Amino acid sequence: MPPPDPAPATVCVRLFASLREAAGWSERLVPLPASADQIPCTPLLLWRTLEIAFPPSSPAAPGALSASSAPSLPAGLRVAINQRFAAPDTPLKPGDELAFLPPITGG
Amino acid sequence: MPLSPSPTIRISLHPQPLLPGALLEAWQAQEAADPATAPAATSVFIGRVRRTTAAGLPLDGLELEHYPGMTEAELARLATDCGHRHQVRAVGVGHRVGMVAPGEAIVVVAVMADRRGPAQRCCQELLEALKHDAPFWKREWSAGAGAWVAGNTPLEEPLA
Repeated sequence: MPPPDPAPATVCVRLFASLREAAGWSERLVPLPASADQIPCTPLLLWRTLEIAFPPSSPAAPGALSASSAPSLPAGLRVAINQRFAAPDTPLKPGDELAFLPPITGG
Repeated sequence: MPLSPSPTIRISLHPQPLLPGALLEAWQAQEAADPATAPAATSVFIGRVRRTTAAGLPLDGLELEHYPGMTEAELARLATDCGHRHQVRAVGVGHRVGMVAPGEAIVVVAVMADRRGPAQRCCQELLEALKHDAPFWKREWSAGAGAWVAGNTPLEEPLA
């Protein structure tokens, strides 16, 4: 059996624009919850631990990781993993860069 | 018809004022260096910052936030996909970042192809794609207050 990885299992969470201002931070290392049941953490699960009110007028997301509530991200919110768009249920790996992106308005 | 090679993709982000003429000149010089093989058709779109906010107030400036690294990569991916779909020769996208004054250029898209149809269709399609899928966020500044823009402006004026 290989020795456990000494590095803490974290992902780097990044926020942009209105979401960054709603949260009050732009970048943070967030520990991945222990996957005791071999259920991988996903952007959706991690989002619900951050308790960010988005859109800013809405109540903050519930902190509890109950499977029954908040089955999806707030409308318009998108996810990027390692700088590529990704589905909210994509399994996260330690060291991933996870970004939550408010609605895009380019061009 | 020979298999079309991958389009040449040119992407640039500009923290300083974007001069569409100079950018287009540079792209043309690179793509049409040899007149014998120069693409016959070029379609260009230049977008400039409006003088009023979405709510109709005078606009002091438009702030553009982006995701360094991902924004460039997404622009390149969108340009490559669209260029392949329309079998064009070259696609260029120049986009402002940071604070942009009313009337200043915010985006320049140029598509070079052997025919006007693919050049024009690719140019329009790419512009719509980057408005929805390239990570940029606009904040309108008016009377000292900033407000994040919630959505893209419509493609056309609403019918009266």
